[in-house]
Amino acid sequence: MILNKNYFFIYFSILFSCLIFSQETTKDSLTVERLEQVIITGQYNLQSVNKSVFEVKVINRKEIENRAVNNLADLLNQSLNINITPNTSTGKSGVSLFGLDAQYFKILIDNIPVINEEGVGNNVDLTLINLDDVQQIEIIEGAMGVQYGANAISGVINIITKKSSKYKTQINAFVQEETVGTEYEWFDKGRHIQSLKVGHNFTNEIYGTVSYLRNDFAGFWDNKQGKVYDIDDGLRGHVWLPKAQQNIKILLNHKKGKHNVFYKFDYLNERINRYDTIVDLNHNSSTDTNDPLGSDRLFKNNRFIHHLNATGYLGVQVRYNVSASYQEQTKDLETYTYRIRKDEKTNIEESEYLSRRAFLSRGTFSNLIYTNKFNLQAGYELTNESGFGSPLAITVSPDDENTVKQRLDSYDVFASSEITISDKLSLRPGVRVSFTNLFENQYAFSLSSKFNLKNNWQLKGVVGSANRTPNYNELYSRLVDINHNVQGNPNLNPEQGFSAFVHLKKKYTLANDKIKAKSRISGSYINVKNRIELIIVNISPREDKYNNIDTYKSFGVFSENAFQYNQFRFQLGASLLGISKVLNSETNSEDDFLLNFQLNSNINYTIPNWNTTFALNFKHVGKEQQFVQKTNEEGNQEFQRGVTDAFSWFDLTLRKTFLDKRIETSIGIRNLLDVTSVNTTAFSGGAHNGPPTNLLLGYGRSYFLKLTYNLNL
Amino acid sequence: MMKIKHTIILFSAFIILFNSCSEDEILISDPFVVAFESLSKNLMDIENETSIDLVYSEMALENGSVSIQIKSENAIYGQDFKTVPEAIGNIITLPILNGELQNAITFLKLNANLFETTNIEFGITSIDYINSNIQGYSNFLINSSAARGTSIQVEVGGPNQGNQVFVDLSMQTTSFAKRDSWDLGFYNGNDFRVAINGSIYMATKALDVYNINEVTETSVESLKTEVAVGTFNPDNVAYIDAPNGNILETAIAEISDNDNENPVYLVNLGYEVGTSTPTIGSAAIAGNHRGWKKIRILKDGDNYVLQYANLDDTTYQEKTITKNTNYNFNHFSFNSNSLVNIEPEKEKWDISFTVFTNFIDGAGSYGFSDYVTQNRKANTQTYQVDTSAFDYDDFSLDNVNASNFSLDQTTIGSNWRDVFSRSTFSDRFYILKDPNGNIYKIKFLAITNDNGERGYPEFEYKLLQ
Repeated sequence: MILNKNYFFIYFSILFSCLIFSQETTKDSLTVERLEQVIITGQYNLQSVNKSVFEVKVINRKEIENRAVNNLADLLNQSLNINITPNTSTGKSGVSLFGLDAQYFKILIDNIPVINEEGVGNNVDLTLINLDDVQQIEIIEGAMGVQYGANAISGVINIITKKSSKYKTQINAFVQEETVGTEYEWFDKGRHIQSLKVGHNFTNEIYGTVSYLRNDFAGFWDNKQGKVYDIDDGLRGHVWLPKAQQNIKILLNHKKGKHNVFYKFDYLNERINRYDTIVDLNHNSSTDTNDPLGSDRLFKNNRFIHHLNATGYLGVQVRYNVSASYQEQTKDLETYTYRIRKDEKTNIEESEYLSRRAFLSRGTFSNLIYTNKFNLQAGYELTNESGFGSPLAITVSPDDENTVKQRLDSYDVFASSEITISDKLSLRPGVRVSFTNLFENQYAFSLSSKFNLKNNWQLKGVVGSANRTPNYNELYSRLVDINHNVQGNPNLNPEQGFSAFVHLKKKYTLANDKIKAKSRISGSYINVKNRIELIIVNISPREDKYNNIDTYKSFGVFSENAFQYNQFRFQLGASLLGISKVLNSETNSEDDFLLNFQLNSNINYTIPNWNTTFALNFKHVGKEQQFVQKTNEEGNQEFQRGVTDAFSWFDLTLRKTFLDKRIETSIGIRNLLDVTSVNTTAFSGGAHNGPPTNLLLGYGRSYFLKLTYNLNL
Repeated sequence: MMKIKHTIILFSAFIILFNSCSEDEILISDPFVVAFESLSKNLMDIENETSIDLVYSEMALENGSVSIQIKSENAIYGQDFKTVPEAIGNIITLPILNGELQNAITFLKLNANLFETTNIEFGITSIDYINSNIQGYSNFLINSSAARGTSIQVEVGGPNQGNQVFVDLSMQTTSFAKRDSWDLGFYNGNDFRVAINGSIYMATKALDVYNINEVTETSVESLKTEVAVGTFNPDNVAYIDAPNGNILETAIAEISDNDNENPVYLVNLGYEVGTSTPTIGSAAIAGNHRGWKKIRILKDGDNYVLQYANLDDTTYQEKTITKNTNYNFNHFSFNSNSLVNIEPEKEKWDISFTVFTNFIDGAGSYGFSDYVTQNRKANTQTYQVDTSAFDYDDFSLDNVNASNFSLDQTTIGSNWRDVFSRSTFSDRFYILKDPNGNIYKIKFLAITNDNGERGYPEFEYKLLQ
């Protein structure tokens, strides 16, 4: 059956109003979390946000639930300094932090980098990170090479999962139905999510959970006609590729005395269908008949994560935290010819597309020396990583062996210490040395400092460094034919990143202590040297090769403010970031600082007697400029300022619990301003076609309904 | 507890609803068609018998039959010709068998000297099969006129595109030669011109030397990066033959009567045909580099004299090449030290499928795969028609605009295909006038085979009458 838009709304509203009016008048069961937030990332011990020498931004469970978002991409698109751009043709989501792409920051789950087919920790497709078991998300901006190693240049996002429950047995199930813009059908349109999670305390010491989540995104069709369409007018397929994810997670946690051990298993399966836009009519001139064909592709992603972790105390003071993890992600490609009218797949060929396997181990030993004034932490991190890229995924010469395999083994040791100079000033210097099989020894440094000033003012200064390891294409790509000579460069060095952040914070109250407030203003500087870029190494005959040549710099100033008045919470943030890229790889390039302004705000209001929370999230991304190489009127190449127009995200959600929180519903509108794409002149054309003139950002105003059933025994 | 029950019911309802029917869209297929594979056959090509092939639009899934009527002028069934199966009352009935894709009639020529005015027409009059229709090539002529049309999958040789294929539309014939089996083409027309083989990306430059033995590896070393295709130097077009096919614009200058005006040329022999298997949809054109030669071409009366040697040789070989006016060129191969057969006779081909050296404005010479040239030397002319102006099916002789015809052999060129989507442009077709004045319309159907592999182009053409 197919529901059209009108029926869909009627259905939604009936369901919703039933739920509203069936509520009981229970007492306020919402206990406002007044406890200080505890953070983990980069800390020696569990630490409150305020005591951390780093500046850590926390997104807690409640915010995730209030927004009813299911993956990291959807969650972070409201965050300051983070830009999420979907890649509609691969189904992945692109992301940048301080204007640097996903190669420059790391995603960790419980302190361990999470694998992706193109990296370990970096290059992660944020849509593959589901949030169903997340306790909180911690974001540290700036280079964290000492704590988290290579590729942590613009920051680290650490996802902390839940590992305990106060209930004997906990069953949690939800279904979520979303429209994709105005598109919604039971199967072929919209987004459909189902989840089931069971947690159980087997004994006082052993806790386990099993969860399953299915997230079926039927793609954004817009004016496209999907898979079953046999006219060659460019309308076959989807604007955004449909994809379906299934995720199984298992956790076993054992706690005894001073020691805690957990094992986590995570299996994710993703299928992305790409139905070719071009319909090969397969015309038979003799019979004047067509048997239309599509050259279709199915990408199958399989990710396994095993993580074994032990924490506790050795003796009285030394706190250890040791993890061992094996992870792999394999992206397979199935290509086939689809006989559109016969619904028949022929010429099916399966091949490994991209894959990566890694064994990781990381351990930290805190309080090795522990006095009032001095605390020493030492740690190690080892990564044995192997990757594979097929010629379909990366450019290699067909004359080469058909595949590219890469091995990267790194063995790192690091140490840092927290020096309390006075109760006002503490310092934290750190250093990491990394020994790898591919590059020379790499070093990272950091120095953080925290000043507690009068009147609840706090000043933090954080400087650090980290490097980015070259990727596959940069090292090994090879396209040599009669017209081209583009070569990777196995002798590349990692890019060197450095960052300095200053944060000034204050906690205060307004209106006779009725309003609690927190404000922070920060300054940032990020510098990446020896950036890798493809340059012309020989003019005639033309040869192109990757080299360490360019420089990236950014200065930013941003502020985040939070206010709370009874059940009313308001947050407002703004940032101004200037980016300069020195392109030594190009002649006549421009390196002026180009500014981008962002603003975000959210308002939360809880009506206690109604068990109802309203949340409103807003983010504005200002006009963005970028230098692009274009041909001017005289026919010469020159760098011009390309502009991507400003846009805003605006989400509205309403969450309500019933029956003593046993039932929870969320209903909401995403992308209230109906943004689909913005105009841009910030792209230069490819060698064989003109530049795109708009950037796809969203699929327009969408509606969702989430129904959760919680059973706590 | 009631409440829980309530929610469970609600929940289940939701899930049941969710898992209910999914409605599959169904597309309407074309009817079942039986048609002749091509539109005609020339009487002169039939020695004793020939097969008249019929094809089905799809595999038959049941049994049926097709009736074909014969109408003949200046030929009598049973006396001048007959068929198997036999016609009864001028009607042949052919079975359509479950699981089959095609069928055929055997035409037997009984009278060896049929007239030029003979015209035998086979027409499909009925198809006894569910949801069938008579359409496409529903009639077939045997006579002495130019071919009426068919579709041809051209044997370019797959993703390495190893062949140069020459197609004669009016004779409905194709022939091919391996791309790297020749090096120089000695023009047989009035001019004394020598072409190089652009299909393997050859390039050549005149040296300021008039004694071939004076040229050595070291004396030309610095020129080697320059005398090549695809160097992105706009000036390198001087080292290739003009892509437009004008014989007066070859890289090698007109051979002079005066030996002192015929310099030694440095010749980049280009690349062997590739041998690797690229990813599906891509082409792997160039294999190993074929090396270098030094050559000097002189004139001896109406003959060419070719001197050639490897760069460091202190002696050279010499060949005298006599013009043969039946062909556009005499093709010479350094590998076999002899003339080789490449092209059909000069008026016996119209278009050629080949790898090609073209140029891009501002970037110089650039190698193209899946290229289509026309027989400019024999005066074949073409032009492109946009489907916005004319529908291919409706285009007739009256619509031909003679002033649009162009000799430029890049007119079809690469304009028929889009390499990025590996498809043909459906918004254009071509009009061709062959050396005998026959005018055809040509539509390209595919650049790949059904598996998506490159190097299997397909086109159809029809005589405009």
